[in-house]
Amino acid sequence: MKQIAIYGKGGIGKSSISSNLSVNLASEGHEVLLIGCDPKSDSTINLFGGKRIETVLDLYKKGITEPDKLIFEGYNGVKCVEVGGPAAGVGCAGRGILVALKTLTKDYYLQKDFDVIIYDVPGDVVCGGFAGPAREGYADEIYIVTSGEYLSIYAANNIAKGLFNLNVKMGGIIGNMRGIPNEVEKINKYAQEIDSQLINVVERDLKIHESEIEGKTVLEKYPNDPLNLRFKEIGKSIIENNSSKVPRPTTDEKIREILGGLL
Amino acid sequence: MNILTPRPNPIVAALYTLRDLDVDVAVLHGPSGCGFRAARLLEEDGMKVVTTSMSEEDLIFGASDKLIEVLKEVDELFSPKMIGVVGSCVSMIIGENVKKAIIDSGLKDKAFFVEIHGCMGANTRGAIETLKSAMDFGLIDQHEFQRQEKMLLLATEVESNKGMAKSKYTRPSRGDELRIVAEYIINCLKENKKIAVILNAKKETAYLFADIPLAINLASKKFGGQVINVGNLSTEVGLTRIKRYANDIRNNFEKNNITIDHISGGVDEYPVAGKDAIEYLKDKEYDLIVAVGIPQAVPKIGIESIAVTNGPREVEPLRDAGYKYVTVEIASHSTVMGTRNIVLSELGEAIRKAAGIQ
Repeated sequence: MKQIAIYGKGGIGKSSISSNLSVNLASEGHEVLLIGCDPKSDSTINLFGGKRIETVLDLYKKGITEPDKLIFEGYNGVKCVEVGGPAAGVGCAGRGILVALKTLTKDYYLQKDFDVIIYDVPGDVVCGGFAGPAREGYADEIYIVTSGEYLSIYAANNIAKGLFNLNVKMGGIIGNMRGIPNEVEKINKYAQEIDSQLINVVERDLKIHESEIEGKTVLEKYPNDPLNLRFKEIGKSIIENNSSKVPRPTTDEKIREILGGLL
Repeated sequence: MNILTPRPNPIVAALYTLRDLDVDVAVLHGPSGCGFRAARLLEEDGMKVVTTSMSEEDLIFGASDKLIEVLKEVDELFSPKMIGVVGSCVSMIIGENVKKAIIDSGLKDKAFFVEIHGCMGANTRGAIETLKSAMDFGLIDQHEFQRQEKMLLLATEVESNKGMAKSKYTRPSRGDELRIVAEYIINCLKENKKIAVILNAKKETAYLFADIPLAINLASKKFGGQVINVGNLSTEVGLTRIKRYANDIRNNFEKNNITIDHISGGVDEYPVAGKDAIEYLKDKEYDLIVAVGIPQAVPKIGIESIAVTNGPREVEPLRDAGYKYVTVEIASHSTVMGTRNIVLSELGEAIRKAAGIQ
């Protein structure tokens, strides 16, 4: 079983990549569990025709904590969990993640024979709770989604700092392209700078947007589109990846130097 | 310096200060165990203390609705004139909007919020924040706030320089044996010596510490010797409740024909009243000082001295300061709640026993 967590700047496309990756891994015959850790509970929405599933924390409030009742089956047989959390501006979403992960229990995953578990974690590592999937020994390795833009790489570097502090291994970077000049080179050079690797990139593609409007993954709306092959490649790279290591975060100045040298 | 010794916390100080302000009900917005021990004692002193009993679920989803519900229940159950809502570590970390909850409960004219949690430094910060909220709510004026703030900051300074916050770790101690200290005092009186008793007590604990000058004076009447009585018992300074403490004790002394030779300040002025006491005594002749209450705030001079404290962790610093004997009144907080009279102290009882004046 491989357990990974996807981190990255808010709005960079973590949930799009996680959901498309999940369904394509499932289509290759893997048993996949996708765990959305965002209180907005929208990581798995595209596997249920745009509908939200009941969250672990909503069920927890009702006294329902049996793991079987917290997991829902989405498109292509992917098992899905949404952690859920408080409404915007109240409570503590970080604590919610920790409580939900504890409620799910790690032993349950082992019994269910999942091949891949993907945690889709919101935004940067803003507090201890958001670091939970990495820190509590749930994910074996972390993947950071970034574009080649400065703020996205800056956020990636902050996450790398968090992983360094927590002594957590990083599997690599998944590029989500925004179409800026020399974008792959920029991300690749940054990945090398922090002693990591660029796993693959997802080109900017309107089909992702069109699929999401219908509450679908690309595989469901455009089953024969080559974009699905790219997600399968990413999935294969992750499964075969055995060179994860704790990243070595760099400085803000160095990021500017890398990006400035590749304008 | 990171001090390892556990010390009183700002949340509890906020609760005690609400009591000083004669608030009817304190609502602690936090887990049910927060401030538990202090809450029980404060109930004995007439202020209701309730909790919103925040749970793990509240921690995640917020507990503003629960707070509104509790405020309404409190209003219905106790018909209070005034309610103080005190924060806790949990509610403040998750950023609860307490002010809005008070408005939404419809009780904004009788309830005010003290934004405090356990990680805000010295316990006196809790008292200062409470007084500031009380000032904003119109309970005290700016002059009174500034006077008390000054006292509280000086109290923190005393603890840092001379009290349990002086060292990295201070081990607790029960102090010297009460019988030995009591006999020493009695013998001084029998030898016709002159004892300066300085009552430098903090707020309601004065009801207990005043028993020691009372016992020494009673013993002096039997065995001779002389006593100079100095006390921070001004009835002119502080909140209504605080002045009442001083008034009660002075009435009690009067009934026992004990004259106070010098008033060194109010019962909330212990950080400076000790200095005033020593200043008063500087041209007097005496053989022994007995400093009771907050002796660490009484400047130590080259006269043989005995200190009586309420903190087992204050013993070591007081010994270091050069006191011949240090004794502890271990139950000072629990015995004085709800009283209007001087209550028996351990050393006072030992003196009475040694003097045969039970």
